[in-house]
Amino acid sequence: MHILIVEDDQVARDYLARGLRDVGHTVDVAADGIEGLQLASSLPVELAIVDRMLPKLDGLALVQSLRATGRKYPVLILSALGEVDDRVMGLRAGGDDYLTKPYHLVELLARVEALARRGDGAVSEASTKLRLADLELDRMTRRVTRGGKKIELTAREFQLLEFMMRHSGQVVTRTMLLEGVWDYHFDPQTNVIDVHISRLRQAIDKDFDKPLLHTVRGAGYSLREDE
Amino acid sequence: METEKRFLGVLTSSPFRIAIVYSTVFAFGAVALLGAVYFAVSRVVDGSTDNLIEAEVQGLREQVQVLSRADFIELVEQRSEDQDVRGAEYLMVDAQLRPVAGNVPAWPTAAEDQGKWVQFKVSVPYGDTTREHEVRARRFPLYGGYRMLVGHDVQERQDVKNVMLRGLIAAVVATLLLGLGGGIWLGRRILAQAGAISAVATQIMQGDLSQRLPVRDAEDEINKLALEINRMLEKIEQLTLGMRTVLDSAAHDLRTPLNRLQATAEAAIGQLEPGSSERRVLERVTTEVDRMRGTLDALLRIALAETGTVAREPVDLSALVASMVELYEPVSEERGLRLVGSVVPGVQVLGSRQLLAQAIANLLDNALKFTPAGGHIKVLLQTSDGVSAVIIEDDGPGIPADKRELVLGRRVRLDEARDLPGSGLGLSLVAAVAKLHGARLILDDAHPGLRVALRFG
Repeated sequence: MHILIVEDDQVARDYLARGLRDVGHTVDVAADGIEGLQLASSLPVELAIVDRMLPKLDGLALVQSLRATGRKYPVLILSALGEVDDRVMGLRAGGDDYLTKPYHLVELLARVEALARRGDGAVSEASTKLRLADLELDRMTRRVTRGGKKIELTAREFQLLEFMMRHSGQVVTRTMLLEGVWDYHFDPQTNVIDVHISRLRQAIDKDFDKPLLHTVRGAGYSLREDE
Repeated sequence: METEKRFLGVLTSSPFRIAIVYSTVFAFGAVALLGAVYFAVSRVVDGSTDNLIEAEVQGLREQVQVLSRADFIELVEQRSEDQDVRGAEYLMVDAQLRPVAGNVPAWPTAAEDQGKWVQFKVSVPYGDTTREHEVRARRFPLYGGYRMLVGHDVQERQDVKNVMLRGLIAAVVATLLLGLGGGIWLGRRILAQAGAISAVATQIMQGDLSQRLPVRDAEDEINKLALEINRMLEKIEQLTLGMRTVLDSAAHDLRTPLNRLQATAEAAIGQLEPGSSERRVLERVTTEVDRMRGTLDALLRIALAETGTVAREPVDLSALVASMVELYEPVSEERGLRLVGSVVPGVQVLGSRQLLAQAIANLLDNALKFTPAGGHIKVLLQTSDGVSAVIIEDDGPGIPADKRELVLGRRVRLDEARDLPGSGLGLSLVAAVAKLHGARLILDDAHPGLRVALRFG
């Protein structure tokens, strides 16, 4: 995937570029808003990572003009402000996700992966049935089966599984789960998400040979068929 | 309903009350003034007719001494028919009260007696009909049982008095009505202005500091007041925006180097053998960066909440509290604690959903941290008398009464908590979020344990 990074901090920019190249992306970088806009217009960019505060042209203004010129690829906004309403402003300007500094590279990679997948249209918003191996989730009837056997889930466990299945094969971080499933944007001091995940794991993996819900050390969780 | 409320609003407005008081005072004034005129005029008018009658009585008494009876009757008839003396009434009767001469048809028997004066009614031709006229008269004896009545038609004078009386009543009623109408008009005007002011004040309280009071093109006190308040708002906006700018640049200036530190450490970790001592050191660095980030987030959020510049929206507090209970229930169970929630539905507050969630999360984090296994945590959302309260109660060790004030201060950790993780900012953040929402944060004894209440409104 062709990714454009617009970030004025060189250390952060280089590290980010290297991290993204390491996982196989094509990366171009810009150090200010104007350069970013020029590259965004001339390169076949598929995803952009934009710092919120940039010299010459503000990050939000950059995203707005990208959107105004009809570029619909996903944009991840990085911010050194990171307050409740800055996030809202970032998303309103046309950003698809918002990450506050300092961040872990794994968190950023997981979010980029999720955005990239969304851009692919691999998971259609409209599809009512989600499937992974012998696990099946029907959004219409709110029925979950594995190997044809019905699995009882609470409403929240269902939402959690739906989120995991939409991102199957990807790494999903705790913050992404708290944001995506509960719509909360803070770091709880308690490992609330882990316990929810282990309950879900009990429900979908306990009676089956092949586990689907995996813990990714130092990052989060992943729902996938183990190869 | 709405118009009724607005009408009641006008009735209780201070200008309307003042108008009522003033129009009542003016009405009393009008009564006093017009009453005095009425009595003065009555006295003059009454007095002059009475004098006229007295003079006539005097004259007739003299005549009766010198004239023969036939001449006297002649005289009475003459006077009765004299058109020059309008309204003069005469009657001479014999001992059996039969009329002998004069223009009054009959001797008034059932007349109202006022000493030597009598007042009675006679029929007077009035166009095609007749009209009852009031006559005021004196009676006196002549000789040999004959009696004489001399009077005057006072209907005209009565009419004048009646007109004056009606005028007086009309003036009083008009004064009251004008006062009432003026009061309602003034009340509505002031209410409209006050309404505009309080609407703006509400918006400002909701964090929209760019709002200003409406100013009209007039030189009145309310306008002057509005201008003054607008100047004050200007100043507050500048100060608050200034604070926000300082916060934003502080955030930027702290997060950027932290991010660089994180990136550098992570990059180096990736090139080191797992388990090597250098790698362990750098992992410590990233852990510390995480902690600093946590502290920074908390401090910035506290400062942000204290500037009051957070955008506010209607928040379904019932749904929020229920979802927090649901979020924390599994982890409580894992730690051998029983978390139960009791939430009344339909409670809404105006505020920041994220900050409220964070505040409740901080309280729950604390409860989980301090309550030993086997304990209970209760999360309640209650309403009574329009006041909603989120209450989080545990049966842990609680906080001694003399230290409850203390823990709300920044970075305060009681000795008992020294070896537990945490920044010491949790409750400060809760306090700042409470303040932002106009809520009170109350720490109490749960016998045993701690009871924390956030009371809205």
